Amino acid sequence: MNMPAKGRPIFLKTARFALRSLKPSDGSERWANWLRDPEVMGPLNAPVRAWTSQELRAHIASADNEQRYLIGVFDNATQIQIGFFMVDVDPFHRRANFNVVIGEKAWWGKGVVNEARAALLDEFFDNRGIEKATGAPLSRNFPAVFNYKAQGWRHEGTLRGHCTSASGGARLDQYQFGLTKEEWAAARGRQK
Amino acid sequence: MINGCEQAKGLLAEAAHCEVASIPDDVRIGQFAPWDSLAHLRLVLGIEQRIGRTLDADEAIRIESLKDIAALLG
Repeated sequence: MNMPAKGRPIFLKTARFALRSLKPSDGSERWANWLRDPEVMGPLNAPVRAWTSQELRAHIASADNEQRYLIGVFDNATQIQIGFFMVDVDPFHRRANFNVVIGEKAWWGKGVVNEARAALLDEFFDNRGIEKATGAPLSRNFPAVFNYKAQGWRHEGTLRGHCTSASGGARLDQYQFGLTKEEWAAARGRQK
Repeated sequence: MINGCEQAKGLLAEAAHCEVASIPDDVRIGQFAPWDSLAHLRLVLGIEQRIGRTLDADEAIRIESLKDIAALLG
């Protein structure tokens, strides 16, 4: 399978990570293991999946780098993939919805999400016509909530009982976070 | 007697694995390196353990400072 040709792939570098649009050949056993791990998938309320590498590659191939991006996070030092972002774009509303999985637990609590997401926000706001970013963590995904707040996103609302738990069927609350292009520019100015 | 902010500082220090004395009185989420995403997880669970119940979504989202933590500790 080849890289979907629809949109421009992403290639970015941060101090510690390389971020790039994934290719079907990136569908590794390591990634498949993340999908099978309740500790990784639970906070996202995503069902644990026993995907084969082939199924994973087909999933990656569905990202077109225009309305859906799958962007790998690679450790600069080892070149090993430690996680990925899935970004869904609504071109009419110029909105991008961010989801992230850091599958390698050794990297949890080390600021990966906000370092990588800062580069992606720059890219989507500056070069891809996006004017608002959104994210919607479960209310009890406390590390994700921390990351949004620490990065300057605004809590725009709480969706009560919005989701069914993937493990047990209970109703779960979800937060809605948002960040406009102007707010991000202001936050970047403060960080400099 | 320990006041609410001192209790909050103690709980945050435990969660962030740092010294109480290193925590500024005006500490805010995202502005103190030891208060990272995993420390935040430990902090919320620590508050819940201390008060003996689960925080609801409206309470958990308000945790941004020592004052917020102290308010939840009651």
